[in-house]
Amino acid sequence: MQSERRMARFDLYERTVHWLAALSYLYAALTGLALWSHKLYWLAWVFGGGVTVRGLHPWGGTIFAVVLAVMFRKWAGQMKLDTDDREWLRKAHKYAVHEEEGVPESGRFNAGQKMLFWSQALATVLLFATGLVLWWPEVMPRTLRLAAVLIHPLAAIGSIGGIIIHIYMGTAAVPGALRSMVQGWVTPSWAASHHRKWYRESSER
Amino acid sequence: MHTVAKLIDTTLCIGCKACEVACQTWNDQEFTLGTFDGSYQTLPDLAPNFWNLIKFNEFERGGKLSWLMSKYQCMHCVDPGCLRACPAPGAIVHLKNGIVDFNHDNCIGCGYCITGCPFDVPRLSPTTKKVYKCSLCSDRTAVGLEPACIKTCPTNCLTFGTREDLLEKAQSRTAELQADGVAAAGVYNPAGVGGTHVLYVLANAARPEDYGLPRDPSVPLAVRLWKGPVKWLGSLVVAGGILGAFFHYVRYGPKKEHADAE
Amino acid sequence: MTNGWTDVANADVVLVMGGNPAENHPVGFRFVMEARRKRKAKLVVVDPRFNRTATVADCFVPIRAGSDIAFLGGLIHYALSNDKFQAEYVRQHTNAAFLVKEGYGFEDGHFSGWDAEAKRYDKSTWAYEVDGQGYAKVDPSLEHPRSVFQLMRKHYARYTPEVVAAICGCTKEDFLKAAEMVTVAAANDKSGTVLYALGWTQHSHSVQLIHAAAVVQLLMGNIGMPGGGVNAQRGHANIQGSTDMGAWNMLPGYLKLPRANWATLDEYVKANTPKPLRPDSLNYWSNTSKFMVSLLKAYYGEKATAANGYGYNWLPKAGENDNHSWGFLFDRMHRGGMEGLISFGMNPVANGPNTEKMIGALSKLKWLIVAENFETETAAFWRARELADEYYPDSGEASKIQTEVFLLPAACFAEKDGAFVNSSRWLQWKEAAVDPPGEALRDQEIIARLFLKIRELNEKEGGAGAEPLRNMSWNYANPLSPSLVEVAREVNGRETGTLRQLNGFGELKDDGSTVCGNWLYSGSYTEAGNMMARRGQDDPTGLGLYPNYSWSWPANRRVLYNRASLDHEGKPWDATRAPIRWNGTRWSGDAADYKADAAPQAHGAFLMLPEGVAKLFTPDFAEGPFPEHYEPAESPVENALHPKVSFNPAAFVMDKLGAAAEFPYVGLTYRLTEHFHYWTKHIASSSELQSRFFVEVPHDLAVEKKIASGDMVRVSSARGKVEGPALVTKRIPGLKVSGKTVYQIGLPIHWGWLGKVTGPLINNLTASVFDPNSGTPEYKGFLVNLEKIS
Repeated sequence: MQSERRMARFDLYERTVHWLAALSYLYAALTGLALWSHKLYWLAWVFGGGVTVRGLHPWGGTIFAVVLAVMFRKWAGQMKLDTDDREWLRKAHKYAVHEEEGVPESGRFNAGQKMLFWSQALATVLLFATGLVLWWPEVMPRTLRLAAVLIHPLAAIGSIGGIIIHIYMGTAAVPGALRSMVQGWVTPSWAASHHRKWYRESSER
Repeated sequence: MHTVAKLIDTTLCIGCKACEVACQTWNDQEFTLGTFDGSYQTLPDLAPNFWNLIKFNEFERGGKLSWLMSKYQCMHCVDPGCLRACPAPGAIVHLKNGIVDFNHDNCIGCGYCITGCPFDVPRLSPTTKKVYKCSLCSDRTAVGLEPACIKTCPTNCLTFGTREDLLEKAQSRTAELQADGVAAAGVYNPAGVGGTHVLYVLANAARPEDYGLPRDPSVPLAVRLWKGPVKWLGSLVVAGGILGAFFHYVRYGPKKEHADAE
Repeated sequence: MTNGWTDVANADVVLVMGGNPAENHPVGFRFVMEARRKRKAKLVVVDPRFNRTATVADCFVPIRAGSDIAFLGGLIHYALSNDKFQAEYVRQHTNAAFLVKEGYGFEDGHFSGWDAEAKRYDKSTWAYEVDGQGYAKVDPSLEHPRSVFQLMRKHYARYTPEVVAAICGCTKEDFLKAAEMVTVAAANDKSGTVLYALGWTQHSHSVQLIHAAAVVQLLMGNIGMPGGGVNAQRGHANIQGSTDMGAWNMLPGYLKLPRANWATLDEYVKANTPKPLRPDSLNYWSNTSKFMVSLLKAYYGEKATAANGYGYNWLPKAGENDNHSWGFLFDRMHRGGMEGLISFGMNPVANGPNTEKMIGALSKLKWLIVAENFETETAAFWRARELADEYYPDSGEASKIQTEVFLLPAACFAEKDGAFVNSSRWLQWKEAAVDPPGEALRDQEIIARLFLKIRELNEKEGGAGAEPLRNMSWNYANPLSPSLVEVAREVNGRETGTLRQLNGFGELKDDGSTVCGNWLYSGSYTEAGNMMARRGQDDPTGLGLYPNYSWSWPANRRVLYNRASLDHEGKPWDATRAPIRWNGTRWSGDAADYKADAAPQAHGAFLMLPEGVAKLFTPDFAEGPFPEHYEPAESPVENALHPKVSFNPAAFVMDKLGAAAEFPYVGLTYRLTEHFHYWTKHIASSSELQSRFFVEVPHDLAVEKKIASGDMVRVSSARGKVEGPALVTKRIPGLKVSGKTVYQIGLPIHWGWLGKVTGPLINNLTASVFDPNSGTPEYKGFLVNLEKIS
């Protein structure tokens, strides 16, 4: 039976790194949101109160940044955009509405995923750098602090926007994607449908 | 309700620093031994245990030597930048009488208020991880006493009263100084923060920086953007993202596996 | 103060010289600010430093330390030559019209009567010309060439604005601006006050300096006027009280110290009771015998009888020409001439001139008792080498010093009741806030226990003091710790028979029927109660005299010499602010400095003086009848007026002096607002406000020597050195003195080897040079060198 055929998609190392990143991200994002708006301050109580949140949010962010750096080392090589990817991006609106006629085939990661990767990497650099400034306001120059209070939330907004799409795509929008990141395997037809180039390359091996 | 204020007549300040000691004593703050930094100032700057600093500004202009002393503390802005920046509800309280007070039970020590303050006043304590500043002795004013600094001031440089009265007093003192030939005398009550509950009479109001005061303070643009448009944008992105995903699913459903394995 | 702090608000012009009230008397300074606001008073500050008082002044004139008499002499010259003095006041209320005997003169820096061998003046040539009855001759036209007025005019003719500028180092323009402002007070309806402090008293010519100020104020008609006077700002809460009670060279109430040549009470009284010099002079010191006998009755009680001269013989007596002032005392100690010292509430190692000499003097003692709140440098003098080795290389090793030191823990001011006598002469009673901590005792208990023990030992073992000690009256309820209320009541005085508390010194008798510990304080604790504890804030005259607030000596008088605020006929010079008025039978308003029921024309306005009028010219002082400018003992320049007699010929020098070639700069000592003496370095708050010792270096000199703020510098004098970081400032300008640039180095005092903050003692640098009248050391204006050390 076809359904019993499995293709390995993410090995344990990748899955572990991903979920560490996801957890630390979630913590940083939710505690960040708690400090973002009085209306979301209830989140601070969920995470142990304002003082705890203020104390640990920077650590959550740091852990995320470290994990993301590991992830970056692992995947950066695979995330380079090729000509097909550029074409894919031009046709992304068609991909979004499932009209995939003429949308170039994707490799292990499609161009959307690659863009997410790079944008999250950039956001993390910004968040981490400005986060350091906000971590020790008493020793940071005022101009840096003023830049940080603006850039940190802007980067977070960009990042969260991307992650909302990522979670949607990784769960409801693409059945089977979540399993690939949890159990590590996909069906050949899944691979052929969504990452045809990768499917072919893997089959040829 | 009348709001309260403190008037600092810099033309009467003799830099005796009695207000510094009164402030620390009333507020139970520890005295620390400073270092020599080339001036008569007690400390180079405010500190978590030191909320009231007399600045000594020595300069020469047009061959005339000036040695100005001026009191530096929380200005209790009508539009407090610290309050705008503060993420912890109830940590900064804008009292009905105009005092901007810090409630340390609610303070989480993020230090955003330091950035939000146009006068660079709050100080984060490295030991308690809370932020401190002048409270205009809200505990004294609440029971009808004047703040400790004002109580102790020997030259009447400091006075306490309703903001309306003190604004009037500041104006009449300015007129008096001008009549005495101090043409540049004026009141410092910066409009950029909606006015302040700490008012100054300056002999040279055209150059508040001579007294260590910012010329035209306002809540920093970055803070206003952060707590304004950026916040709206954030709400838009988060709400839009979630709703967008939901309706995308409703309209288009999940991606189908359109190809078979070969 | 002749007037008082609250009265300063009545001034139209305030001359601050030799003081810095904004920094050192900030609470009193509010009345200067009030005068500025309410009367549009002008504030003139004359000082080596652009200090915090100067920052709010209408006119600031920088001058060289030690040149103040030249400046004031210039003011006298300016007033006389520009007709800016209150002529009628001068004619009626001063000795301007008195004629001086032939033979008086002044030449090349010496007044007549100089005895070069004895190094002192024969003052007989400074006397008035008298008639057959012993009254001074006068010329009311003031035109007689030997009238005080004409002699004064001639004496100060040399003090032209150009000469003032050359000596003081100010510009002629600045001097004239100040002179114009100050002499506004010559008008009948204008008053000017003079505020001074240790910047005047700590010179080798300090008494003459204050005399010069008095002359200026008399010329302006400012003595006795609200908003006028010559006002000393006292440095400690009770320094006025200690002076009034006869600190060391007087008996209480400024009664002279008994001397060996006055063997009996009669001789003492005769020598100290002046004769009137004018027919209308009330000559209040004619009551000397009443003050003295009542004092002796307070000392010896029932043992004092007419037969034994009220115990006068039991008083210790100084030799005829002995000087027991501070400098002489320590000089004698330094030469090994003293056995022991009881040091109460003072710290001679820190505050005496030439610290190494002080340490040397104490190490020659057999015993030293220090009663203090903290272990002071004096109590720890024997550890000087250990604590501050770099400054005292020649002091002895601790193990070699044989002095036995007793440190008695004493209560501080808040732990004691009693009265503080402030600068305004107000006796303000206070209660103890808390009990002394630990084993600390109140001063009166320490003194009482010492006294009783010494008396006991004298009785038991025999001793020179046995009889005087045995006869000393000590009938306090608790002899071991007399209550200060009891003492205050005794100081006020009472009738011996009825024990009725006296109402004032007018009731004192010299027949043994009254007891009084200090005639000046009589009236402070009457049958009506403790007048010093009063806190009434009513102000019937509207002049801020507050007659029911505490009690002011003498006789609760708030403005001394207030009779002079009216002319001879009793008409006020300024009807809007007459402190007293004559209603035809009595005086009302302030306690009149006059006989209560005497008509205005009856007497001269200055009751205490044999002249009955104030003295522009006086034979009272050691170095001349008129104030004359002399350079400090160490000066960067020669005296421009008389180079051969540059320095005060009568002053006392007991130290090695340096020369300008080696020590080219002028040292200035001063206190900072934030500190109290050498005491608050033990207190956290004051130590925070100004933590570190520093040296203030004039900007231009710093540029020349490549010194930046924070660089370590060494300041040295012929006596010693201090080291600390430099504070470079333009507030101490370089001055052009006789064509030469003179720099002054600012040296704040406060630090020492003990306390929460430590630093060098400035008196390492100062010299044992003393004013010949007051015995005050010359702490202001001595020579130093300045080097950068890192």
